[in-house]
Amino acid sequence: MEKLTYRSIDEDVLRNMQAPTRTYYYLLALCFAGILLGAFCWGYMIATGIGVAGMKHPVFWGTFLINFVFWVGIAHSGTLISAILYLFRAPWRTAIARSAEAMTVFAVVTAGLFPFIHLGRVWIVYWILPYPNERNLWPNFQSPLVFDVIAISTYLTVSAMFWYTGLMPDLAVVRDKARGIRKKIYGALSLGWTGSHRRWNHYGKAYLLFAALATPLVISVHSVVSWDFALSIVPGWHSTIFAPYFVAGAIHSGLAMVLTLLIPMRKVFRFEHLITMNILENIAKTIIFTGLIVGYAYATEYFMAYYSGNVFERDTMIWRAIGNYSTAFWIMVVCNTLVPLLLFFKRVRTNLKRLFAISILVNVGMWYERFVIIISSAAHQFDPYSWTHYSPTWVEYGIMLGSFSLFGFLFLLFARFLPTVSMTEMKESLEPPRRNHRSRSISGTGEGSS
Amino acid sequence: MTQKHSLLGTFSYLDDLLKAIEQARERGMHVETVYSPCPNHEIQEAMCMKPSSVRFFTLTGGILGVLFGIGLVIYTSLQWKFIVSGKPVIPLVPAVVVGFEFCILFSVLFTVAGLLFKSRLPRPGLPAHYREGLSQDEFGLLLRCRPEESRTVREFLKAAGAKEIHELPS
Repeated sequence: MEKLTYRSIDEDVLRNMQAPTRTYYYLLALCFAGILLGAFCWGYMIATGIGVAGMKHPVFWGTFLINFVFWVGIAHSGTLISAILYLFRAPWRTAIARSAEAMTVFAVVTAGLFPFIHLGRVWIVYWILPYPNERNLWPNFQSPLVFDVIAISTYLTVSAMFWYTGLMPDLAVVRDKARGIRKKIYGALSLGWTGSHRRWNHYGKAYLLFAALATPLVISVHSVVSWDFALSIVPGWHSTIFAPYFVAGAIHSGLAMVLTLLIPMRKVFRFEHLITMNILENIAKTIIFTGLIVGYAYATEYFMAYYSGNVFERDTMIWRAIGNYSTAFWIMVVCNTLVPLLLFFKRVRTNLKRLFAISILVNVGMWYERFVIIISSAAHQFDPYSWTHYSPTWVEYGIMLGSFSLFGFLFLLFARFLPTVSMTEMKESLEPPRRNHRSRSISGTGEGSS
Repeated sequence: MTQKHSLLGTFSYLDDLLKAIEQARERGMHVETVYSPCPNHEIQEAMCMKPSSVRFFTLTGGILGVLFGIGLVIYTSLQWKFIVSGKPVIPLVPAVVVGFEFCILFSVLFTVAGLLFKSRLPRPGLPAHYREGLSQDEFGLLLRCRPEESRTVREFLKAAGAKEIHELPS
């Protein structure tokens, strides 16, 4: 970081907001086509009926809920990096915090679509909101699904506010460098920010409070998502470990997604000196940690099934490992717990190709984890008469592809129109420019002396 | 009303700026604003800033959020008085979850409102003395003085190491 200066940071970050290459437009068009396909599938389902999805009794929570949980999980590492690591003063988070926060916002937006899709009659989705009405009907606040609506809406609002507040000073930098219509647009977006000492004082306090509020929120959100399952009596779901198990899994998948996005981004944008190998290595080490927690949770589920003496629980757990969905189960185990162990080796976690491959495998594994949890329990409940086999239809695959495309589309727009690295935080992490370095280090009055 | 002049000195180095702030205060000059490209605790200390009052907005939001969340659960439960799963009509445990989420939501909304209110944002335009370099790699010291003092202040800023000096009658 010695070679970085305030000016070079601005130049590096703003350079990537200029006219993009043709490849960028191809990728954007590809994602847009994916969104159109997803929208067509959703429209077809609305016109035809929810029966065109593969869900049937007793599996009413198919890929729509799998993708919902998957995307909410992806969102969590953004808050881990932007809020939790901020509170712990981890300096390596600075260069990647903005992208991780953007990822959080887009992942929650994507996740938030799935309950809408799953409801079928999406035009009456507002019934779930608590609003005064002539029949005096209200949501049942004892239902974890209502907790979920409140938690996800809160999470989307908080992460968007957190992201935008952090962006404000950087938008002012873009405004000051831009000309013409761009200057007006970024001027409006930066709300007239000037970087006066009073504003920095309020900004610093507000940012710290956001981080302090987002930290318990992120833990509560995936806990609430886990209670959608754990508060039922279905074998494989009715478990007290679900909240920490889901939170750890969410961060595990989110960190992998951060690597999946950052490794190509740093190459394309030539951010090698900002997003250093050391940062990627730290993410890899955190993935080892979360992978071990997830592996421990898998083992605990089996131990609890054995030790509780509950025959239904035992049967579900055995069926997961050797039943119809055993392939999904073993993909989950290998990708989430065994593959991340490779990151113990320095030559693996410092090799970009290997790191990227592992991040993809963890993403795949975490998607299958949600598949295994949701489908294998719902399809194999107490009564053998109602056991069934669920497989997604083309409509569900189309909507799933649409969701990945939407996420990619939003991230590409972000990379083009907004600063992908927080210039303010990067500058803050540098030693400020001083005429006389020596006198300061002798007096030892500043941060550099510690 | 006495007419005042604003003089903005831009600095390339933080130590020059800090020294200029200290000397300006010693000479009894009115330091209006200090600009920097990123937050800096040395500037905050030099300007003797008190902790931001945004935190009181957050606290107010948090308290209102808890009361609103729990109040909503109690109010809606009392509308029909259904007994669900043998639980009391007013369910305390679920109310904690709803109260917590609303606490965070309201805290954040109030924090944003507090930040905007205390920072006097949004503003349609930028101050006339504002310079583009202030968001990038320059520090700025804005001093206000009577018209007859502007020459002295200009010389002071120059001696303190200001790269450029911009004068604006207000």
